[in-house]
Amino acid sequence: MNNDIPVQHIGPQGEVMAHAVDACVHCGFCLPACPTYALLGDEMDSPRGRIVLMKEVLEGALPLADAAPHLDRCLGCQACVTACPSGVPYGELITSFRGWSEPQRERSPLDRAKRAAILKILPAPKVFSLAARVGQYTKPLAPVLPTALRAPLDLLPEHVPAMQPSPRVTPARGQRRGRVAFLAGCAQQALAPNFNAATLRVLARNGIEVVLPEGQGCCGAAALHTGAREEALRLVRQNLAAFDPGDYDAILSNAAGCGAGLKEYPVVLHGLPDEAQARAFAVKVQDISEFLAGLLREGDLEPFLPTSRPLTVAYHDACHLAHAQGVRAAPRELLRAIPGVTVLEVPEGDLCCGSAGTYNLEQPELANQLGVRKARNILSTMPDLIASGNIGCHTQIQSHVRRQGSRVPVLHTVEVLDLAYRGEL
Amino acid sequence: MTPRKTALSPGSPAPKPRSNGKPDNALAAELTRLLGPQKVLSNLSERLNYRYDAIQFGATPLAVVLPESTADVVTAVRAARAAGVPIVGRGAASGLSGGAAPALPGLVISFTRMTRLAIFPERREARAQAGVVTLAVTEKARPFGLIYPPDPASFRTSTIGGNLGENAGGPLCFKYGVSGDYVKALEFVDADGEVHELTRDAYDLAGLLIGSEGTLGLITEATLRLTPPPQYTRTLMASFPEVGACAEAVSAAIAAGAVPGKLEFMDRACTNAVEDYLHLGLPREAEAVLLVDTDGDDLETVEEERALVEAACLAAGGTVRRAASDAESAALWQARRSVSPALGRIRPQRMNEDIVVPRSALPDVVREIRALGDASGFHVVQFGHIGDGNLHPNILFDPRRESAEAVHDLAHRIALVAIRYGGVLSGEHGIGTMKRPFMREAVDPVTLAALWDVKRALDPAGALNPGKVLPDETGSDHARP
Repeated sequence: MNNDIPVQHIGPQGEVMAHAVDACVHCGFCLPACPTYALLGDEMDSPRGRIVLMKEVLEGALPLADAAPHLDRCLGCQACVTACPSGVPYGELITSFRGWSEPQRERSPLDRAKRAAILKILPAPKVFSLAARVGQYTKPLAPVLPTALRAPLDLLPEHVPAMQPSPRVTPARGQRRGRVAFLAGCAQQALAPNFNAATLRVLARNGIEVVLPEGQGCCGAAALHTGAREEALRLVRQNLAAFDPGDYDAILSNAAGCGAGLKEYPVVLHGLPDEAQARAFAVKVQDISEFLAGLLREGDLEPFLPTSRPLTVAYHDACHLAHAQGVRAAPRELLRAIPGVTVLEVPEGDLCCGSAGTYNLEQPELANQLGVRKARNILSTMPDLIASGNIGCHTQIQSHVRRQGSRVPVLHTVEVLDLAYRGEL
Repeated sequence: MTPRKTALSPGSPAPKPRSNGKPDNALAAELTRLLGPQKVLSNLSERLNYRYDAIQFGATPLAVVLPESTADVVTAVRAARAAGVPIVGRGAASGLSGGAAPALPGLVISFTRMTRLAIFPERREARAQAGVVTLAVTEKARPFGLIYPPDPASFRTSTIGGNLGENAGGPLCFKYGVSGDYVKALEFVDADGEVHELTRDAYDLAGLLIGSEGTLGLITEATLRLTPPPQYTRTLMASFPEVGACAEAVSAAIAAGAVPGKLEFMDRACTNAVEDYLHLGLPREAEAVLLVDTDGDDLETVEEERALVEAACLAAGGTVRRAASDAESAALWQARRSVSPALGRIRPQRMNEDIVVPRSALPDVVREIRALGDASGFHVVQFGHIGDGNLHPNILFDPRRESAEAVHDLAHRIALVAIRYGGVLSGEHGIGTMKRPFMREAVDPVTLAALWDVKRALDPAGALNPGKVLPDETGSDHARP
């Protein structure tokens, strides 16, 4: 797309944005992939429309405040990236744009306080756990609370489990075949501590020593995707200091959103002195399912015990796995490797569930519509189990599936593998 | 294009928010009064998004209406006429000729909310409002054992109204015909806001509307013919060391009696662009790739036809591979559909042609275009529905480094190759503004005068999509890509 984006004024992030706009041929192939276009049906709420709006704002032809409502509705799910033949790095564009535009936004004090609170609580597992516990008791009040407070309460599980701090080092069981670093994540430590526990057990069982490097923190994706670039830079650099890629075979994450965030570090630091360090780091990053499927393909994965009865698993593609990281086959291959498991494909599987990081807190209405649609699509396959690889999707799907009256268990892919190893499926 | 202001720099104060929802001008205000705020877009941020299609940016409209019924269209047309502004119809804006990109500021009527669709299996018909997505017709008809064959590459995005406006084609058109061949009846709103229902009897006025790009009226609904899908389909990919050899294989296969369902060609640059996107293991080294489906209800005939095509490809020096599964065949066709946008990976801008030449001339035409491209210094790529002689030569360029003037001249020379071999300028994309300057060479003056008479009869004020299809009568127009 022709543009006059003043790259020299904006700096390295301007290059990232101009490159993405250049690559767009405005063919419209992204339209049917976009969740908000599916819901709203207008061009401003499609990826192509948003690219044009960002271009106009960057060129100075359109006030930021005019474009903002449409850009804020973008989930950042990157389904458009999968659909795009001309290779527009839309995720990089919207993330850079949010970082560039946030300091210029006019926000109400309440809005500011809400955003600050989200970015404070989300990355701090202990604070989050405490908040979740308080939330759990105020849950019955949800119907009478304003939407801003109701949305997060709706998503809380009925029972908030106790935190289970992970050990610094989990030794390999039997002969050590590899050594990986693991990002523990934030909210999931509070909401679903078994994700990490299951991950460590499955890795150890396969002879992989797991290290949680000291000094690691939040991946920074939530800050980055809400435009808090300075905060994101701080978190990115904190992790680059904590993880020395030379020490490990891989750097693993079991949350799609975090893994995608870690892989984005080179773009975040584009044009800055530590860009090369970020590249060396990012090439080592893998989702847990990518890493385990690598072992499976090499014939190195410990075999699973068969299920006690034939079991159908509806696998939900987390956007930040399927679209942002291109990981689709790995989790399915792993689940299929469990004797007795049949993997079911979910209709409209490419469509976001509406969780999308902090989206269900910032755009509760659209997030709710997408959640209802996702739960309906998943339940239409009549699964025995639902599996996905992201805490955000997990919470959203569990909440909506329950509201539709289903008791089907919702698990992380690695939890399913863990149960299979224990013979509990 | 909107005038450029100084770009924002980091830290500069954000501009004051506009009053969202308040119409910017008299037309938008009147439309909002008549139709309500939900159906009218009047903010700049909204209007800017309704000025382009998939090839061109046009003038920013004064207002956009998102009608939900034919009655809404009538109201919008009357209001625009009263205000004396042009009216441009728009589907999903995936067109490749500039048809939906306004030449002048006016009213854009975007049909994306008119999505009512009914299937009548016993009559093998669908009734679709203009905003129904093309693929949705087949998806809804398939449970009844029926499909809607026209399959433009953008069929997941494009709308029936847009397809009929441009008389869109696709790979299946070689055997099954273009969009217009599936229209049994049309409803349209004329330039005065009157509603008409047309059938295909004499006079075939529906045929006149089809492919008229909204310059004669606005198609609001259509009755479409459905067919049962072929029971058997076999897919084949052939690769060639030279483009002309591919065209020779096509001519030979058809001369031998094969009537493939799809017969598609892409050259080396196209193959590499889609391979960069999809990573399917396509033959990157081949100068030309041919994708072929043979289909029908008799398996023996389908396989015989495939054998005929294979033999012709081998005789022309090609290498042949059969798709082993439905999944492989689906992936190959996704690759073909992705060619046009994937070319954005090579250069950001392109001039896209849509010529149709007699099949016997294909080898000479593709070689001549290839030679023109090689001599020009531009990336000239070719792909298209080679079975019916419909080729899409594309000139890829970077407007910041390469001259639009030179691109235009080269496009003109390519168009002249087609005309010299007895061809025409538009197979399926429409004329729009992209090919309008070449119309004088393609259509003789007497016929052009007759076309103008038709236009004046249906749209005396010239309000409907001005600046499209027909060149100015005065001959003073020199549209540029």
